[in-house]
Amino acid sequence: MDVGFLSVVELGRLLRQKKTSATELATYFLDRLERIGPRFNAVVTLTRERALAEAALADREIQQGKWRGPLHGIPYGVKDLLATKDYPTTWGAEPYRQQKFAADATVVERLGGAGGVLVAKLAMVELAGGMGYTQANASFTGPGKTPWNPNYWSGGSSSGPGAAVAAGLVPFAIGSETSGSILTPAAYCGVTGLRPTYGLVSRHGAMALAWTMDKLGPLGRSAEDCGIVLAAIAGKDPNDPSSVASPPVPLSAIRSGGTKWKVGVPKGADKDIQAEVAANFRQALKVLEDSVEVVEDVELPDLPYGAVAGMIIAAEGASAFDDLLKDGRLSQLTAPEDRTGGYPALAISAPDYLRALRVRRPMQRALDDFLKKFDVLAVPTRTTVASPIDKPFRDGWPGVTGGANVIGPTNVVGVPGISVPNGFGVQGLPTGLSFVARAFDEAKILALGRVYQSRTDWHTRHPAIP
Amino acid sequence: MEISRRAFAERLALVAAAPWFLEDLKPPQQQQQQAQEPSALAKALAEGVRLRYPDRFSADDLSGVTRSIDGRLRAIERLYQTALTNADEPDFVYSVYRGAD
Repeated sequence: MDVGFLSVVELGRLLRQKKTSATELATYFLDRLERIGPRFNAVVTLTRERALAEAALADREIQQGKWRGPLHGIPYGVKDLLATKDYPTTWGAEPYRQQKFAADATVVERLGGAGGVLVAKLAMVELAGGMGYTQANASFTGPGKTPWNPNYWSGGSSSGPGAAVAAGLVPFAIGSETSGSILTPAAYCGVTGLRPTYGLVSRHGAMALAWTMDKLGPLGRSAEDCGIVLAAIAGKDPNDPSSVASPPVPLSAIRSGGTKWKVGVPKGADKDIQAEVAANFRQALKVLEDSVEVVEDVELPDLPYGAVAGMIIAAEGASAFDDLLKDGRLSQLTAPEDRTGGYPALAISAPDYLRALRVRRPMQRALDDFLKKFDVLAVPTRTTVASPIDKPFRDGWPGVTGGANVIGPTNVVGVPGISVPNGFGVQGLPTGLSFVARAFDEAKILALGRVYQSRTDWHTRHPAIP
Repeated sequence: MEISRRAFAERLALVAAAPWFLEDLKPPQQQQQQAQEPSALAKALAEGVRLRYPDRFSADDLSGVTRSIDGRLRAIERLYQTALTNADEPDFVYSVYRGAD
């Protein structure tokens, strides 16, 4: 049975109907990861022994009628910045190739508790891009390649999770986003990616890049699958003081008929971007037209989002990796620009960093006041399709200077976002549609994503990989 | 597409500090060229970094460090244009700790 591109929901049905077993699924995906993963530089470590043990346990429990829930027996991968006992956790960076931790990250622990079967640690941009990479070859595993065309980037920094889901190597994966690192690979790989509200998912056991901006979230085949995974990993964790209880709106909440969704489209969102990206965005809104009321040309409050984000990421990143800066091991990184990229942050003054943190508080309130006027904002996830892997990003698609910057502002204040596939563009590469909403409104973006995916089949398409 | 000087300064800062923004926020070519000469302060701060680690930087490396610092300095101006009062605290809260007796 070809199960490589089935959703979590579909795989769960097969398990419940005893048409397959957790062990069969684990073996199947381990084989694909081993055989196909290297084509896309998607895999760091197979967790074969652990996977087969977790799968055997799941099979025993399922046989006994002890169902843990929709992830029971389902294989998954994690970006290699999540700690897992007994296997290296490399952070994608040469200096940490042999690094091991004594315990699992909270997210891995929770997925295990839900019956998930960890099959692989997946590739990532070294140090989650914190040293300022400017081209795709920025990991000891090589440049991440989108399975739709391996001459193009899979996106970063969750390059492995994006490529592995798209190539049918895992049904879902966990990525991380400080500023774009889930939504970008989701768009470039043609999968669904969910960036939860900051604090909704514990960061305990995850590599820190910027403590006040890092978020963990799923990449999967659909909004429905991402919602299932989020429900398993969300919630307060005593090991992460920034974590919060599950959102007041149940993740399963689906808006019933009647009221239309109010969707804001930021000014310039589809101007001066790749023509196919713009066309796919407009077509997506047309698909939803009987369910949404579109408000065009909305403008985010005029605040220094970029200056705040840049300051926070640079200062927190330089502090998080101060040992690498001090002892010079940055020189071991793969991307030449990363070998010196952390040093400029040493010139940041403490008052300037604190100023950024002080400005973020009124920024949060202003953006929340703005977002509460709508159910969601909608934008093309990226202004172009994936960049070629052999060129600096700035030279990938010259002449594209437009679009509305929503990824930056929404990351700096920590509100949730989702990217769903919405078509194809240049070189047959996928494009993405993003919805963002107020803090803890995951239910809204997941529900609208489900509505969109119930009317389209972009999320079911996959590259021709046997 | 024209962008304001203020927006451009912000984009430069992003390019310097967070290149994953690049694809959405490329500074136009002409403005990139105008911004090539770093300020004296940026050069002085970069020299401070070099003095801290004197054997780590080639001339090209140091030039990159200087440009990055320069971009961030331009962006910092915007941080101080947002009005704050003395009572506006950073967006984290320090909590006092008392362990088990």
